Amino acid sequence: MTAESQPWSNRFRPCCLADVAGNQSAIYQLRSWMRSWEKGPPDQRAAFLFGPPGVGKTCSVVALANDLDYDLLEVNASDYRTKKRLEGLVGRASLQTLTITGRRRMILFDEMEGVSGVEDRGGISSIASIIKESRVPVVLVATSTGEKWEDKFRPLVDLSLLIEFHPVPFGDMIRRLQDCVKELGISVDMDALELLADRSEGDLRSTLNDLEAVARGKKRVTLEDVESLSDRDRKDYTPDALMKLFSAKSLRDARRIVSSTHIGYDDLYDWIYENLPIVLDDSSDLAKGMEALARADIHQSRAKSTQEYRLLKYMFNEMTGGVALSKTRSEGAGVIKQARTKIATLGFPPGAFTVTETAEGVEIKPVRYLGQDWRRVNSVFRGMGAQWMREGGRWLLPYFRPPQLIWRYRRTWHSRRRLRSVAARVAERCHISSKEAVSEVIPLIRVMFQGDKAMAENISSWLELEKKEADWLKRET
Amino acid sequence: MSGGMWAEKYRPQTLDEMVNQTEIVSRLMNFVKDRNLPHLLFVGPAGVGKTTSILALARDLYGSGYRNYILELNASDERGINVIREKVKNFARTAAISSDVPFKILIMDEADSLTSAAQHALRRTMEIYTRTCRFCLIGNYSENIIEPIQSRCSIFRFGPLSEGDMKNWVTTIANKEGVNLFEEGVEAIYEAAQGDLRKATNLLQAAAATQQGEVDDVTIYTVLGKVSPGKVREMINMGLKGQFLDAREMLRTLLIDEGLAAEDIIRIVYSEVLRLGIPEQWKVKLSDTIGEVDYRLTQGARPEIQLSALIAKLALVGEEMGR
Repeated sequence: MTAESQPWSNRFRPCCLADVAGNQSAIYQLRSWMRSWEKGPPDQRAAFLFGPPGVGKTCSVVALANDLDYDLLEVNASDYRTKKRLEGLVGRASLQTLTITGRRRMILFDEMEGVSGVEDRGGISSIASIIKESRVPVVLVATSTGEKWEDKFRPLVDLSLLIEFHPVPFGDMIRRLQDCVKELGISVDMDALELLADRSEGDLRSTLNDLEAVARGKKRVTLEDVESLSDRDRKDYTPDALMKLFSAKSLRDARRIVSSTHIGYDDLYDWIYENLPIVLDDSSDLAKGMEALARADIHQSRAKSTQEYRLLKYMFNEMTGGVALSKTRSEGAGVIKQARTKIATLGFPPGAFTVTETAEGVEIKPVRYLGQDWRRVNSVFRGMGAQWMREGGRWLLPYFRPPQLIWRYRRTWHSRRRLRSVAARVAERCHISSKEAVSEVIPLIRVMFQGDKAMAENISSWLELEKKEADWLKRET
Repeated sequence: MSGGMWAEKYRPQTLDEMVNQTEIVSRLMNFVKDRNLPHLLFVGPAGVGKTTSILALARDLYGSGYRNYILELNASDERGINVIREKVKNFARTAAISSDVPFKILIMDEADSLTSAAQHALRRTMEIYTRTCRFCLIGNYSENIIEPIQSRCSIFRFGPLSEGDMKNWVTTIANKEGVNLFEEGVEAIYEAAQGDLRKATNLLQAAAATQQGEVDDVTIYTVLGKVSPGKVREMINMGLKGQFLDAREMLRTLLIDEGLAAEDIIRIVYSEVLRLGIPEQWKVKLSDTIGEVDYRLTQGARPEIQLSALIAKLALVGEEMGR
């Protein structure tokens, strides 16, 4: 396999420790421990490297072996790791410090988190006994996810020097990416590089995979290319993303939600627009936030009309950062305040409803049986986006509601179809455009239809309207 | 009562019947006498007789079968270059038969809303088919018509109707329809419609329908409350009071349920804001904001978003004024 055809996360594996990005103190620990072997086996014959994925744990071991000229015997998840197998594979090697060609030897047990209790029966304990007897350095590597991961490795943890790896810091990540980009001879816009680094949360390997996904076969990578990447991992449920957005204190934090939600940026935009006036309850905040959204809208229409999609980044900045940073004076009690205000307009004595915040949303509960009033109250709350929950006898008003636009278009479909056909008739008979018919004439025709039956029939036949259309005009809006 | 919409029922059928725009009418009558006319460009505000003039001219020229010799297109409904290429060409290239007039007339209403590419296509068509077809382009502003077209047309500028003419007209119709129209009613109609005769007539008819033929100022205001300007005013007031969510609901009703164009809403917002009882300097500030939104809409921005941003500004203004 030539360098060019390799996946980039392999191709840019550091070959010496100096090239490893971040985690300098962990690397220093590892290196000192290796050097201590030169004076014979130290107390802890194994080093146990753990940390999140893609931060350079295995890379560091491989690079170190290169630096110090060790022969590296590697056992990973592709090998069966039962007691018997392991003893066959490494048992003997661990007792011989030199290879046949006279090089020093070290052993790497990679992907330890994948050692299975069933298929790899006895694996952990046999690794433990290998460590106890070993004459050569043994390095264990595990990706730690979740809590209590080390319980499984208890016998090994006690025998090993524990070295923790951390996510690669943003700056180190950028520097490493720049080196790779230089070596590839391509150009990647700085903001694109930043977004790549940002969205990976310190996982350099996934960043390189992402870079490869967008940059293969390209001379130049723009922000837009990166935006188009579907997020490989955890997608936020939209309301959670909105919660993050409205509590963000920096452009970077706010901006993150564009790539972390599972919906497209235009849907996300609609969600933000729908909920913005509920969260921003201060009028100056709201005016600023709405203006940010309006500016975002302009950037989007420019990007579309010029086909210059790099302009979209300005849209993203406005719709996330612009909105989030507008929130300076708002109490953020949006939904609950909205609920209280609405309840006050219903004409019940104070205390007729209890309003409480729960994890799912604001709960509105009538204290007494509402009887005939229920319908009226329900329609008011429904208008706010609340839902009646039969069990518990309460309305639940979610903190964020989905965009109402599509729902509204769907609800008014028939009515809009009538409007169009009537408008076409009016336009022809009155020598005007249908637009003018809609805005100037039809509203007045409605008044005529609702006020005077004879006139309605007269106009109806003059316009040659169908009965359905005439009935539609008679209906109060 | 018969005849559907009164605005159509009482539309002058011949140039003789037209009571205003006398100077223009006499020039048009000369064309009829000559049995020949140039390409025409009619510009002026709405409801002052532009379409009426050309339809009357056609009737005078061709007689009662005039419909066979004209094609009416509305550019705002049939925008774009393809309409020009297809419909206009097909109509323009065939000569008028069985008439002593050797040409037909193509009426293009709201021609000022044609894109400039479409206007350029139109200009060529006008040249090529001059022998068989005359064009009458109608619009509000001559500025939106490209120079080459203007230079190929005789331009007629229609002025707004005088207050007296308008009031006479409305009163005449009311008498003929047996509507008891009070003096206050006439005033209210003029106040709302200004020189727009079609609007005035429609307003009268709607008012007559609500009060069994008794129309005073209250009747007119009641009707006005039910049509778009009334609802837009309500939206503005909600905005000023800081009820953003309610105002946005109203905006959605106007835009989606009632199909109102964003430019109509912005036009009404503008004229309503100038009439608001707020300090004059605020009117200037708001006018600037409205102008910005208006421009953005011409650039393809989303109407609901831009208008919502405007409502949010209204809320801010309302709050600052309250202090």
